[in-house]
Order: sequence, then C-alpha cells, then structure tokens
Amino acid sequence: MRRAALALAAVVVAASVLVRADAHRIVSIIPATTEMLFAMGAGDRVVAVGSYDRFPPEVDKLPRVGALLDPNVERILALKPDLLILYSTQTDLRAQMERAGVAYYGYVHRGLPDITQTIRSLGARVGVDAAANALAARIEAQLADIRARVAKSARPKTLLVFGREPGTLRSIDASGGIGFLHDMLETAGGEDVLADTKQQSLTMSTELVLARAPDVIIELRYARGDTTAPADLKAWDALPSVPAVRNHRVFMLQGEEFVVPGPRVAAATERLARTLHPELFK
Amino acid sequence: MRAPTDLRRRIVLTFAGFGTLAAVVCLLAPLVGSTPISMPRVFDRAIPFADNVDAQVFFVARLPRVLAAVLVGASFAVAGVVFQAFLRNPLASPDTLGVSTGATLGAVIVITFHIDTAILGVSAVPVASFAGSAGALGVVYLLSVARRRGTSSTVLLLAGVALSAFLGAVSRLVQVIGDYTDVFRSIRWMMGSLDVGSYTDIVVPLVPMTIALAAIATLPRVLDLVSLGDPAAEARGVDVRRAERIALVSASLLTGSAVSLGGPIPFVGIIVPHIVRLIVGADHRVVLPAAALFGGSFLVVCDLVARTAFGPAGMPVGAVTALIGGPFFLWLLFRRFR
Amino acid sequence: MADCGLMLTAENVSFAYDRRARLVLDDVSLSVPRGAIVGLLGPNGSGKTTMLRLLSGTLTPTAGRVTLDDVAIAALSRRELARRIAVVPQDTHSAFDFSALEIVLMGRYPHLAAFELEGARDLSIARDALAATGTSALEARLFATLSGGEKQRVVIAGALAQASDVLLLDEPTASLDLGFQLDIAALLSRLNRDRAVTMVVSTHDLNFAAALCTEMVLLKAGRVIGVGPTREVLTRERVRALYGVDADVVDHPRAGHLTVVPLARAD
Repeated sequence: MRRAALALAAVVVAASVLVRADAHRIVSIIPATTEMLFAMGAGDRVVAVGSYDRFPPEVDKLPRVGALLDPNVERILALKPDLLILYSTQTDLRAQMERAGVAYYGYVHRGLPDITQTIRSLGARVGVDAAANALAARIEAQLADIRARVAKSARPKTLLVFGREPGTLRSIDASGGIGFLHDMLETAGGEDVLADTKQQSLTMSTELVLARAPDVIIELRYARGDTTAPADLKAWDALPSVPAVRNHRVFMLQGEEFVVPGPRVAAATERLARTLHPELFK
Repeated sequence: MRAPTDLRRRIVLTFAGFGTLAAVVCLLAPLVGSTPISMPRVFDRAIPFADNVDAQVFFVARLPRVLAAVLVGASFAVAGVVFQAFLRNPLASPDTLGVSTGATLGAVIVITFHIDTAILGVSAVPVASFAGSAGALGVVYLLSVARRRGTSSTVLLLAGVALSAFLGAVSRLVQVIGDYTDVFRSIRWMMGSLDVGSYTDIVVPLVPMTIALAAIATLPRVLDLVSLGDPAAEARGVDVRRAERIALVSASLLTGSAVSLGGPIPFVGIIVPHIVRLIVGADHRVVLPAAALFGGSFLVVCDLVARTAFGPAGMPVGAVTALIGGPFFLWLLFRRFR
Repeated sequence: MADCGLMLTAENVSFAYDRRARLVLDDVSLSVPRGAIVGLLGPNGSGKTTMLRLLSGTLTPTAGRVTLDDVAIAALSRRELARRIAVVPQDTHSAFDFSALEIVLMGRYPHLAAFELEGARDLSIARDALAATGTSALEARLFATLSGGEKQRVVIAGALAQASDVLLLDEPTASLDLGFQLDIAALLSRLNRDRAVTMVVSTHDLNFAAALCTEMVLLKAGRVIGVGPTREVLTRERVRALYGVDADVVDHPRAGHLTVVPLARAD
C-alpha cells in the first residue's frame, strides 16, 4: 500500500517536473490542497477556490468555481489560471483543461503519508519548494512526536465515527481499515476496531458495534462550535454493554481538520491522541 | 383451480399457512446473525442487562429490526395490492401516486438542511419523511375528489405519475444545493435500513399503520369488484368514489408510515402482490391477508440476508429485496407456464 | 307478452357532466314496459351510454328523474338498486386472473351482507347463469383468456346472477363477430322470454336492434326523435333523420324482422 502510494507520488512529481513552470494564478477546487497552498505561503497566488473550502478564513473572499461534482469550467477559464488543482478522477475536467491549454495538477485522496508527499510535490509544482518542504517536515516531525509519546501505552480499541443520524444510532458512518482517518487513529495510539475491513468507510449496524465492543468511541463532527451537539452522544446509551459506553469513554471532536486531509492533520492527530491518552498530554 | 365455495377454507388456510410462515420467520430471525450469541445467556436474568452483550444483540440490535421488517414489509405489500386494484394496473406500486417520492423529499430536505430537532422522541428524518408523504397523500386525495364521474382511473394514474416525477425533481434540486456528504446520506437513506435499534421508532408509525390496515380490512370484496372497472362496480352497488378515497388514503398512510420507518425499500410493494396471487389466486379476500403476512416474512428474510451474507458491514436491504425477489418471481412464473 | 305496467321510466331527464358544459341529454322521456326489450338507438355521441347510466343510477340527472315501479331511484340505496337493475358494460377487462366463475360470482355482491362469503346457493345461482348463457364449460377458465364473444356471455351471466328484474346492456355486440352477434341476440331473446327479464339495449347496429327489440327510442344529439314499437318507429325517414343515410327498411321474409340496408348518403 505504501509502495503504491510512493510510486504514485513519484509519477505525479515526475509529471509536474516535466511541465515545470511556477504557478502564480492557481485555482484549487479541493479543500485539502487549498489549505496546503495557504500553509506553504502560496495563498496570495490562489485566485479561486472550490465550493466546500472553508479554511483559512481568507478563502471566503475568493470566488468559488464548483467542486468534485459540478466544476464550473467557464468561470475557471475566465480567471485565466496557470494551474488548476483537480481530483485525478475528474477525467472530463482534465480533458477540457488540456483542450484549453491550462496546466493542471491531479490530486489523489489517500492515506496519511500521502498528505506530506502531496505537500512536497505541490510545492515543487507551484514554485515554493523551500516552504513546502519545511511544512512537510514540520508535520512529519509532529506526527513522529505523537507516535513516540504513545508508543509505550496500551492501545485502546477505538471506533471512529464521522456521521450518524442525530438522536438515533441509525446510519452510523464509521472509518474503515484504510484511509487517512484510520492512519491518524493508529498514529494517535488507538487500535482501529475496524482495521480488518478493506474500505475507507462503512455503515455500521448496532449489532456490529456490540460485536466489536470498542473501548473508546470518538465521533467526529465538522461543524465547529455547536454546543448542543455533544448532548446527542447519549444515543449511545442504547448499547450499555459496549465498554466505551460503560466506562464513559464516548467523545465528540468538532472541527473540519478531521474531514480535510491537509496541513492541519498533525493538529487533528494530536487532538485524537489527547482524547485517547489524556494522561500523556498534560 | 380452487373452487370458490372453498373460500372459507381458503381464507382459513391462508391465515394458517402464511401466519405460520410469518411466526416461524419472526422467531428464527433474531436468533441468526453475524455475531454468535448464546440463547441461554440472552435470557439469563442473573446477568444485569447493561453487561449482557448477548441480550443486547438480541433485544436491541436484532429484535427491533425483525419487528420493523414485518411492519414495513406488510405495509408495502398491502399498499401495493390496494393500488394495483384501484388503478386497475398490475404494474402499480406504492409509489405510483408519488407517496414515497414525497417521503423521500421530506427526508432529503431534513438531511440537506441539517434539521435535527426531534418530535415525540422520534428523530427528524422519519418525521419529515412522514410529513412529505402526507403532503403527497393530500394531493392524491384532492385528485381523487376532483375526478369527475365518468373519468377513468388512467387519469388518476397519470396525475400521480406527474406528481411523482415533480417531487423527484424537487428532491434532486435540493440535493444539488447540499454538499456531497449530504448527498451520500440521502442516497443511503433511499436504499432503506431497518436497523432501528429502538422500540419507540416502531411504536410511533404503528398507530397510523393500524388505522390504515383496519380501514383496508373493510374493502377486500370491493377491491375485486373495482378491478373490473368503475361502471361494473357501481352497477353492483359499490360506492366507488367513497371506496376509492378510503382505499387510496389508507394505502398512502401505510406507505408513508413504512417509508418513514425503513426508507423507500423497493420491490416489495410491486412484486409481493403478484407472488401472492400466483400462489393463492386473485380473490382479494385471500390476497390481502396473504400479502400482509408474506410481505412481512419476505422482508424479514431479506433483511436477514442483508445483515449476514455480505461481511461485517452488510448490505442495504433495498438491494437484497430485488436480488432475492426477482429470481423467485421468475421461477414462480416459469412453474405456472409449464 | 308479459303483463303490462311501466317498469322503468325517465321523466323529462336532462344531463350535463359539468355545470357549464352543454347538455348531453335534453328533456328526454322514455318508458320501459315490464317484460319488453327496448332499444336505444342513435349515432355516437347521441347520449345513449349516458342515458343507460342515468337509468342504472350511476349518474344523477341534472333535471328530471328516473323511476323504477313508480319509486324514484334516487330514493333507493345502491344495494337495493343493484338487486333490481343489472348492467352489462360495453367492455369488461379484468386486470387480474379471475376465473369465469369468479367473475359471475361477483354478481351476487348486492345480495350478500358486509363480510358474508358466497354460499352454496350463490354458487348454484352462478352456475345456473353460466348454463343459461351456454358458458358452463368455461367455468374454470381465466376470464382474460376468453374470446370476445365468450367474455360477453360470461359478463351477461354475471348480470344474470345478480337476479335483477331489469338488465341494461351497453353496445353488447360492438366488438363481436357476426356469428356471436346472432348468438347474443338469440340469447337475450331467450332470457327475456324464459326469465321475464326486462331489457334496455343501447346499440348503433340497426339490424341487431331490429331483430331483438320490441320497442325503440331514437336519440339524436341528446333528444328523442322517435319512440314506439319497432315496426312503427324504424322507418326510412327516421333512419335518414338519425344517421343522414338513405336506407331501405325491409321486412325480411326469412329473418322474420325488419332489416335496414344503407344505400347512400343523404345530404
């Protein structure tokens, strides 16, 4: 898995080297890459963002040109970008950019290591290599630090939930055995209770929750500042035999850094680690 | 051919036969699942419920699912029978007049705009989907009342198709406004789920379901007469307008309750009536109870397969109903034509 | 001839489907004597089907009233009316797989209580009706698989099973082959004779009407333009007035009734 990710990153880097030219008018329709660009100091080069980009606050002033399902090609071209960052899967959009002669960078959504790989290759592509490499190194150092801190402690069986129908235990969206959420969890010192599943996400039935019996349940909500939301955690009381419920280790973490695999991933991982191992982070 | 004088016997046999099937299925289904549990432990009073994993799997995870499946399956099947008879169309289904599309619209609105308020202990999505179906039901009722004497049921059917198409379009429009996680949640809701995990969610729709079933229970012979056409039924003393209003409102109420409980599970409402007719004949006095009992059993079995046969995550029950029901129906047809 | 006495009458009946729509029937009066076979004749759109629906109580007149044995049918309950008047519609389509016997048994509905099931007596009445229409052999066959003529006979059997005094038939031979047309005419004649069933038959087939009906009512554009015994009413002038066709009306020696032979358009 890692090898494939590295190979892919290598191809992307190679491809971007071949069309080497700094970019000064960048359109990024992907929240992760938008955050990366701003974090590596290239924020002033971003001329437009996607519909779902929320961070940093500067993006609110920028025009929006659609996202994965509905990119607005006319608006993109009207901005005369010299680089469009899109999802590798957006084949139609890629073809249109090729026809229009606009350079593009194809982003692949994968696991945790790919985040820093992408930061480096994107930085090289845009022309801010030094800042990008520094950013990537900082993130890797933070992650390594977290890993070291939790290395000696027992790893609680953890269920990571990123969606649920409010007020009930229906439609539980849980993070599966692959993907950056899983990687974050493992780095933060948790043992993923769904590590054996080969999916990024799955819908959990109540029976499966009871069967897997996690020690900790962490719910991720990306709307920050909702003070009423934590009260919704009492829905889990319907399953009192689950160790997490019995021992009151059901938590809710709010914030978009859990949804966006971008530069804030280290901070997000640290929040996870604090929740799992509070005693290590006084 | 079954002689009609045996009608009393056929009705008794139907209740006995399909009733036994339903009882057996309901008793066995909670015992089966992807997690092995021990029945003695489930009923062991010595262990406090909060610590008894096996009991929780049985009483919280599985039993509500089975009960929900019975109610939802029976409701869709009975509603399908009623719609097919009154629209005189074997291809009619609980959604032909737009009731479950209305329910879907209600759910999609709540999901997209993140409306989270609960009413009467029931969370927002079921309440909104019931409200959506009630709205569509209102339109259906007005259509039925406005229908002039002498206009055929085709007019009602066409108007219902148009309503359904319109509500579906509005639903998609709302989804476009939302972001992709909301779209995913909407799509997932539309595939249906019976994992209710609580008895409150079942008891609340039980009230409208019971009222609707009681009303439909007065109509079986009328359904026979009406299926030959309005003039024929009128000439035999049936108040077709009144019967139609009662039937369509009740069937829509059943559909709306079932969709708010389990989502718009496809296939049950359109094909179970036909499967039942192939087994017991066309007389609605036999078809209605058979459809209720078989529809419930069928959905319990489909949900059982959905939650055990596809790995830990399972599969949406809506995908399984067609997978199982389609070939079964084809097999019944081949048997008949041989 | 059956005993005299008016059975079913329409008194100055007018009807429009909508308050603002034109009148489909305008001040129509007709009377059906007990035991008679009355033909309702007229071109398409003349209001024949509407008249039948008014006579059966399915529709309510905008003006005037329909009476059965001097009682306004509006005063009778639907069930009571269904026990006295049966209707054979123009087409019957069964959406589901009912057998011929099941179709006929549905005719017993007005005689049964709310949740009462058909009993042995109802079954024998149904079988009797099938025999009377020569369709006993079709009892177990699926109605949907029968031919047009067979279906029509089964539907008539269903109306017979209703054990009513009056039978209203809407274009009973419209979709039938020549042979079946003769069969139906003979059948209805026989039923009228043997079971004293009073009939009103709407048709645009002049020869069929001439063979079967003792009296005729001619309708054009919602008005009566002729009424009376067949031989008096079915004349060349009336045919021209009704259809705009110049026809020869001949008492056919071998057929034993009037026959109408169209010759040319009369403009």
